[in-house]
Amino acid sequence: MKKVLVYSSVVLMLLAGCSSKTPAIDETQGADSSQMESAADADTVVVDENAGVSDSTIELGEETMSALERQMLSIYFAFDKFDISMEASTKLQTNAALMQNKAAAFNIKIEGNCDEWGSDEYNFALGLKRAKAAKDALVAEGVNAERISMVSYGESNPVCVEKTQECWAKNRRDDFKLLP
Amino acid sequence: MRFFIALMMSVTLMFAADATIEVVKEADSLPSIAVEDASVDFTGTPAKRFYNLLSSDLNVLTLFNVDHHYATTHFDNASVLNRAMDYTLRFRLRDDDAAFVADIRLFQEDKVVLQKSYRVANTAMSPFVSHAIAYDINEFFGQAPLDWLKRKIIFARVKGRMESEIVIADYTLSYQHVMIKGGLNVFPKWADEAHSAFYYTSLSGNKPTLFKIDVRTGARTAMLSSDGMLVCSDVSRDGRDLLLTMAPQGQPDIYQYDTVTKTAKRVTTYGGIDVNGQFMNDGRVVFISNRLGYPNVFAKRPGEAKIEQLVFYGKDNSACSAHNEYVVYKARETSDAFGTNTFNLHLISMKTDFIRRLTATGVNEFPRFSNDGDAIIYIKNYKQQSAIGVIRLAQNKNFLFPLASGKIQSLDW
Repeated sequence: MKKVLVYSSVVLMLLAGCSSKTPAIDETQGADSSQMESAADADTVVVDENAGVSDSTIELGEETMSALERQMLSIYFAFDKFDISMEASTKLQTNAALMQNKAAAFNIKIEGNCDEWGSDEYNFALGLKRAKAAKDALVAEGVNAERISMVSYGESNPVCVEKTQECWAKNRRDDFKLLP
Repeated sequence: MRFFIALMMSVTLMFAADATIEVVKEADSLPSIAVEDASVDFTGTPAKRFYNLLSSDLNVLTLFNVDHHYATTHFDNASVLNRAMDYTLRFRLRDDDAAFVADIRLFQEDKVVLQKSYRVANTAMSPFVSHAIAYDINEFFGQAPLDWLKRKIIFARVKGRMESEIVIADYTLSYQHVMIKGGLNVFPKWADEAHSAFYYTSLSGNKPTLFKIDVRTGARTAMLSSDGMLVCSDVSRDGRDLLLTMAPQGQPDIYQYDTVTKTAKRVTTYGGIDVNGQFMNDGRVVFISNRLGYPNVFAKRPGEAKIEQLVFYGKDNSACSAHNEYVVYKARETSDAFGTNTFNLHLISMKTDFIRRLTATGVNEFPRFSNDGDAIIYIKNYKQQSAIGVIRLAQNKNFLFPLASGKIQSLDW
């Protein structure tokens, strides 16, 4: 055992240990030192999603649209469920009437949301099924399906961040927005 | 001693050939190692930080019992400070023409058995120097290469309501670089093995849109949009095919998207929820579906109607990741609408009936295998803190690296 150890040590010192060569750190696997530095420099790239967005999108109709949007009622869902309750059904009828009269000129975006239990794809899909359930109900009330788009924000759009039952219940919801 | 360690690890790995079988190892049987700081230019906090990083990396190797007493010395000292240690790793950090350089010497008792220098132009990337040192030491002791030590992870960090960042980091989160900021951007996924680009979903526009970002140039390409939701769940080994969850008619289903022909084929057609598609090495796609009334793990071959149920335990298995014959999945252990819930990770093999539970407390989610299947990385949320967890399967060890602020929404390795 002792001989093996001494031999190993000497060989390693000769082969790798005492070399004056300075190996580059391989951030991208197999890159040499010059690639490493360029990769490191390139790492400073930042894409700003807000860059290039001007404020000139504010139009005259927006105030009316926002006022109407505030009249749209959010609906709420039970834990891990996406079926429409009686209370939600009544609210959807109110929303449908608004969409077909005062807000008839606008398209509709339904935003499905979830509570904080889970950030995975399934949770996003649950939010989407909540939006789809509302869309089906609105279409049944006579709203043109072509006007309605949907999006799920999963747990990313909470209206309440406390760790309470009441708070989680407020986040399991559909919001209704108007689009030009 | 080195021969003995290699033999011991070989025996351990031989018996751990099936990762679903839990390995129990005696910590006391491992050799001891101490780390000595011999830095000249870098004194105080940076050197101490590097010491902590290196000690942590050595710990993750699971080859040693790491001594955690911080000690300083001169790089050329002939003797190590603590002669009771089997091994001593001495490091010296220095500036060299504005580059960050680390010199190391590994002692076995008082004999130098390994000596190397490491250089990186950007000091911010010094954590990768520590990981590279650990990688080389692992190799020196004859272990299988741990490529994942040096690989970058990418994750989405929640900044607030409807706001998240996409961050590139090392596996310990010591190095962090924000790649995408502003708006709500989620589900980042590396586009290839070399990590030269990544995909992510932007939820800032009217429709969820999948973008591809070139890491080196920052060039952004819009891939496609879908009403409802759009997530890139997996990328094939050659980078050509993507498994997407899309919902063009409001029904979340899995699609296979060819990036060359730019065409998508529908893989699942169930009217409920089908999400989280993952390529297996035998041509099957593993996915999560609620076709039994609750989320569970299934598999099917694209183009065929037959569906296989892979997990027969638990009533709420809502996320999974696949590597060769292994599938790791997230299971909700409690279903409490009014209190805290526990989510644990479990591992199954297509070749055995064993189920191995990998975590015990908190909310553990978003499991992802390393590219070699040696380890699983995941998100752990416990008592208001978000952390990256790394499970080394054959060694039965679990390591946590907390995020200083924010919550991790999703990640890829």
